[in-house]
Amino acid sequence: MKKLFVLLNLLLSVSFLFAQNPLNVKGTVTDVKNEPVPGVSILIKGTMQGAITDADGQYSIQVDPQGVLVFSFVGYKTQEIAVNNRTTINVQMSEETIGVDEVVVVGYGTQKVKDLTSSISTIKSDDLVKTPAGQAMQALQGKVAGLQVVSNGAPGNSPTIRVRGIGSYPGNENEAPLYVVDGMFFDNIDFLNPADIASISVLKDASAAAIYGVRAANGVVLIETKSGAYNMKSEISYDGYYGYQVAQNVLKMANAEQFTTMALESGSAADATYILNAMQRYGRSRVNPNVPDVNTDWYKEILRPASIMNHSMNVAGGNQKATYSLGTNYFAQEGILDMKNEYERFNLRSKIDFKATDWMTIGGNMILSNALKYDQEAGAWNQAYFAVPILPVYDESNEDAWPVKYANAQDLGYRSGQNPFPTLKFSNNRLKIRKVLANFYVKVDLLPEKLSFKSTYNHAFTSLDERLISLPYFIGNSFQRANASITRNMSNYSDQIWDNVLTYTDKFDKHGITVMLGSSFRDEAYNRLSAQGLNFPIGHEESWYIDQAETIVSDAVHDEGTRQYGMSYFGRVSYNYNDRYLLYGTMRADGSSKYQQKWGYFPTVGAGWVLTEESFLKDNPTIDFLKLRASWGKLGNDNIQASDGAITTNVVTTAINGVLVSGTTTSSTYSSLKWEVTEETNVGVTAKFLKNRLSVDGDYYIRDTKNAAISVTIPAIGGTVLKNVGIIRNSGIELSLNWDDQINKDIKYSVGANISTLKNEVRDLYGQPYIDGGSAEFRQRSIVGEPLLAFYGREVIGVYQNQDEIDADPFAKANGLVPGDFKYKDQNKDGKINDDDRVVLGSYFPSFMYGMNFSISYKDLELTTSMVGQTGNKILNRKRGEIIWTADGNMDADLAKNRWHGEGTSNKYPSSSGLRRGWNQKMSDYFVEDGSFFRIQNVQLAYTLRGKEMFGAQMPETRISLTADRPLTLFKYNGFNPEVANGIDTQTYPVPAVYTIGLNVKF
Amino acid sequence: MKLIKNTIKLTLFVAGLFLATACEDKLDAPAENRSFTESTDYTITSNIKLPLIGLYAEFYGTQWENFPLISVRGDDVNAGGLGDQQDYAETDKFNYNKDYWMYNSLWQNYYADIFVAHSTMDEVAKYNQYASNKALGEQYIAEAKTIRAWYLFNLARVWGSIFVPTSSDPSDLLVAELKTKDEVMQHISAQMDEAIPNLPEVRPNERVDITGGVTKYTALAIKALANLELKNYQAVADATSQIISSGKFSLEPDFYELFKIKGKLNNENLLELQYSDFGQGSGDAKTYLFAFFGPQGWTPAVSGAGDGWGFYEPSLKYIKFMLDRGETIRLETSVLFTDRGITEIKKDSKYATLPAWISNTTRDGDRINDYPRALFASGKHYLPSNQLTPGRTDYGTNKNFTCIRYAEILLMHAEALTQGATSSAMTAVAAVNAVRARAGMSALSSVTNEQVMNEKYAELAMEWGTRFYDMVRLGKYAELSYDGRTFTENKTFLPYPQNQVDLLPALK
Repeated sequence: MKKLFVLLNLLLSVSFLFAQNPLNVKGTVTDVKNEPVPGVSILIKGTMQGAITDADGQYSIQVDPQGVLVFSFVGYKTQEIAVNNRTTINVQMSEETIGVDEVVVVGYGTQKVKDLTSSISTIKSDDLVKTPAGQAMQALQGKVAGLQVVSNGAPGNSPTIRVRGIGSYPGNENEAPLYVVDGMFFDNIDFLNPADIASISVLKDASAAAIYGVRAANGVVLIETKSGAYNMKSEISYDGYYGYQVAQNVLKMANAEQFTTMALESGSAADATYILNAMQRYGRSRVNPNVPDVNTDWYKEILRPASIMNHSMNVAGGNQKATYSLGTNYFAQEGILDMKNEYERFNLRSKIDFKATDWMTIGGNMILSNALKYDQEAGAWNQAYFAVPILPVYDESNEDAWPVKYANAQDLGYRSGQNPFPTLKFSNNRLKIRKVLANFYVKVDLLPEKLSFKSTYNHAFTSLDERLISLPYFIGNSFQRANASITRNMSNYSDQIWDNVLTYTDKFDKHGITVMLGSSFRDEAYNRLSAQGLNFPIGHEESWYIDQAETIVSDAVHDEGTRQYGMSYFGRVSYNYNDRYLLYGTMRADGSSKYQQKWGYFPTVGAGWVLTEESFLKDNPTIDFLKLRASWGKLGNDNIQASDGAITTNVVTTAINGVLVSGTTTSSTYSSLKWEVTEETNVGVTAKFLKNRLSVDGDYYIRDTKNAAISVTIPAIGGTVLKNVGIIRNSGIELSLNWDDQINKDIKYSVGANISTLKNEVRDLYGQPYIDGGSAEFRQRSIVGEPLLAFYGREVIGVYQNQDEIDADPFAKANGLVPGDFKYKDQNKDGKINDDDRVVLGSYFPSFMYGMNFSISYKDLELTTSMVGQTGNKILNRKRGEIIWTADGNMDADLAKNRWHGEGTSNKYPSSSGLRRGWNQKMSDYFVEDGSFFRIQNVQLAYTLRGKEMFGAQMPETRISLTADRPLTLFKYNGFNPEVANGIDTQTYPVPAVYTIGLNVKF
Repeated sequence: MKLIKNTIKLTLFVAGLFLATACEDKLDAPAENRSFTESTDYTITSNIKLPLIGLYAEFYGTQWENFPLISVRGDDVNAGGLGDQQDYAETDKFNYNKDYWMYNSLWQNYYADIFVAHSTMDEVAKYNQYASNKALGEQYIAEAKTIRAWYLFNLARVWGSIFVPTSSDPSDLLVAELKTKDEVMQHISAQMDEAIPNLPEVRPNERVDITGGVTKYTALAIKALANLELKNYQAVADATSQIISSGKFSLEPDFYELFKIKGKLNNENLLELQYSDFGQGSGDAKTYLFAFFGPQGWTPAVSGAGDGWGFYEPSLKYIKFMLDRGETIRLETSVLFTDRGITEIKKDSKYATLPAWISNTTRDGDRINDYPRALFASGKHYLPSNQLTPGRTDYGTNKNFTCIRYAEILLMHAEALTQGATSSAMTAVAAVNAVRARAGMSALSSVTNEQVMNEKYAELAMEWGTRFYDMVRLGKYAELSYDGRTFTENKTFLPYPQNQVDLLPALK
């Protein structure tokens, strides 16, 4: 609440200047159908004074008889009309046709949408704020063809974003696209308030992204924060919502009865004893006396409904000389995991442009983000999965337990304590994320309207202050934490970019040309210091300092840092002939201190042909706009570390005769890496039909990553080393369709759909037939001609049902298989089932993704829905695989119910004892499941109050909305969340459904 | 006015471009926070010890699963941990699964350390070029050779034909050929011959620089072990004779305490893994995961002391063998009894009455309660709760792990002599009697090879699979076929881990 108060004060302190003038001008503003348009802003040019049209489209304003009025409204062309001593001025607004004069940011400049030769998708503010999420990128799920958004349910965590598949070997933190926020580079944008964003542009193809050269290979996402406008009336707005998050699709685990059955059928005497022990300790169930009288649903125990809220205040406006936009925002989200798990963020933002002279503009932009995150104990999800249902949460007979009498599975005989609650309740993982983004620019018009020079300095400073607290507990002799521990990790990142850009725009006759030349210098520094202390006063949080600790763990002190520089030169030429033929080219030379090879060159060319400007299609009644475009470009990826397993010397310690001594080990594997190079060809079509009501955008692309840095397993000793040893290809088709129409003046609707296909393929491994990845037990293999990191193993064709079937199969008989064991497919038909029978079992990349949206409005009531889905991807159900290491845990109900337990009971799952046998634990498609899903992504019902009066006073425009975000997800996968970024499901934070009520007020 | 304006414009523009370009030399800045091996100053020869300490750190930091897999297959011990790690239990019953994670893990862990040994030798050699006294560097290289030999010895016993790396680069193995087990043992013996002259002639605990580190006698012991595998008995007798004649080693009189804190850096030890809690109740500790061996759900004498996972169960066969011999101290030291286990022994009418000392409570007062996963726990891997440093609760913290001890040297010596080798250092019967005397067993007047092997069984149970590899070597497969398992010669070696087969062409 304190923060809200600060926020209000801040806004009220903004003062406004008003001028005065004699002539009273009145009028009505209408659209092309002569319907009145309410809410149109009318500004006296050069001042900040203005008016707004009422519900009937009428206005009145005091203005100088020689003044100029500026009429503007979202979706309409802005008009400037001189007063010329008139007292009545009626204005007809014409709709701004998208694709004609709309401008998009393209990196170091802007370009008209109709001039684009590459593939860029832009999402505007209105679409972003419909999704109640702390992270803006979440709102893009299903909205951009070719963009995969893998949600993350944990508060404060960002979704995984993939632009057109994956061009770089995963797991090396090199998959994320580049985010450019008002010119500054970021790895993620979780610090931004989605409501502060004016637009997000996804530069999908190489031609669009190439201007960012070596950082662009995974796609580029450009973010423009909101700004004011010259001669814009001040607008004060409040935007907020409050709601609840509820876990969805919670996985059904085996209950006590099912679990008991599984344990008794497992053939393990020890496991049967654990059940007996549980019945002795907790009694027998009255329903079934052979089952312990405990039936804990661990997921239910560790989940909770959690709140989410967001409050933003913004003021924006401008006069002849200056524009401004100021805002503040408070976002808070609790986690659905029942522990200290929450995220809150307080942001301040300002953006100012000022015309210092008629030839020089200066401006500045500051974003301060102060977030506090209490991180989840990720292990709890895993513990809850495996914790046996015959164990209660609390156990009063566990008398020595302290400070809470939690139950201990070891008391029943199990190897581990299993109960997730000690982990949840005696941990406190606090992370303070403070981020400042500042950028200042000066723009000089060397030749007015033609040649300008802009120099921009950006600095992003991030400080991460992490405090991990583990408090002591005693649940059992081997289920205790004897020492309280505090770990502090202090890191800071100081990233600077200095851009200098010269832009020349001109038009000669039918030739339009824009030339841009620039240079950019980058300096990225990172430092981290960490230390650990043991046993400090635990009662009061004020004492949670390493200084208060009895012991400081000398082995746990770390200090590390990196500093990298980059220098780039770039240029762009875009040319159009009579708006009919378009040519485009950029070139970037990137220098990096990271690699032996210092310089890389990244060119692109593109061409477009606007057929509707040709005489044979001009003024065609059906086709309003048709453009064919093609482009080629080359990108780099310098998120690849400079060298891997470099021959470096590491300090290690050991005990010799009871004394801690240090020594060194020298790594013996080494690979010198260079940046990956991506080449992409894109052909596409952009078209509008039927009076601009139907718009179509289609693209086909082929993207090859060369010198792909792939983790190669080191022979004999394990571990991996990255080597530039492959070519990875992603190719696909993207299509978006949108239909916008109005049935009558009250009812408008729109329908949209987008689909994208993706084919990921390893094209070459520089001579090797395959490279293994994943883990030894759950093999993923990259094979030439197959997807990267495809799941690789045996194919289950059934379960041996009876002894006759085994006797009939010489191999099964020789290997002592029993009914209830898997029957694998003999792929090479040699009569033997062995590792030569392994095949590709699928890939974790969806081959098909789709999104749909529908909206309808009746007068001031609006309903919007969006849906999203994907098919073709596989998920490794690694939780089921855990049985290889620990056999005594719980399992999902589907497996328990559908196990083989006699002839004809199952042809899908092995018997309970079979689950524990090595034969059935080999990597097979039993572990690899279909990851397709369909989801109703968002449903919003909103009502807007316009031009209403209350108690005789004009009410501000007020919008009230009800939103259900991700209310329904359908899938077959045996997990609670089909969104698994790397396809290996060990533990994922469930993605909750969010229900909110929102309010938006504009003064 | 216009002139001023244009001058400002031009100055800004030129300054911008010029300054930007001036930053280009930053591209040559080296990476931060790295100690590049290429920039190590090898002339600082006092640092010559660092790579060797690094190797010891790797050696002592051995992963918990290595020892259990190496040593589980004998008739002295069962897998234990019932219901858990099924393929570990299957391995104990000679049913092998090359996809089982432990196989791959042991292979990788041991080879990784072998490559560290190689890079240690390389690094020491680089310092040694600048050293005035070359002997120290030579000694360090010999120590690395000895540790490397220990890894190769165990790998060859487990897998038979293996790779013998020749450099510190693992990718050399992509084109390497396998060496047979005999070739590996011959290689080890030859390596030890190279190392021995350069190693200090002291007991490991007499070393001041690296107390408990490798000495000449460690290398001799490994040479003896390798030759024993080759059935080259005279070489065994020669190597053990040198150790015995040195007079440096003696048997710890208290067999029980030999496997507790007192056994750390004992005069009996030739090679051991060192751990420590540095005498502190919390904070830094170098530990081995002894919990694997510990009983579950015990009632420790010191409350709050942690228990174990219930793996690695001494076999009924071994316990009965010991009872038959009238063993007390060695049985008590090797086995922790539960009431359930005692009942199980008594089920055999021959053992209906057990000696009064057998109980579920150790002499230090730790009560071993019944637990479903095993009947007995390994006593040699047990540290009484009252020997834990107050504040420490993990099972076995601060205990060392012995690899080779003098009793094994004496018994190998006796074995070699009873196989026809000769020695003037000590007779077979004297060697066996020395070991028996410490265990409170009466002296024998003469010994046969069979008696020596029985003595080894009694003395060295649950230590590094010695019993299993002895029986395999002597072809006594019937001994290994107990409790329903059948050992045949083709079960001698584990299959190569599938992960390695996929990586290394020679294993296909």
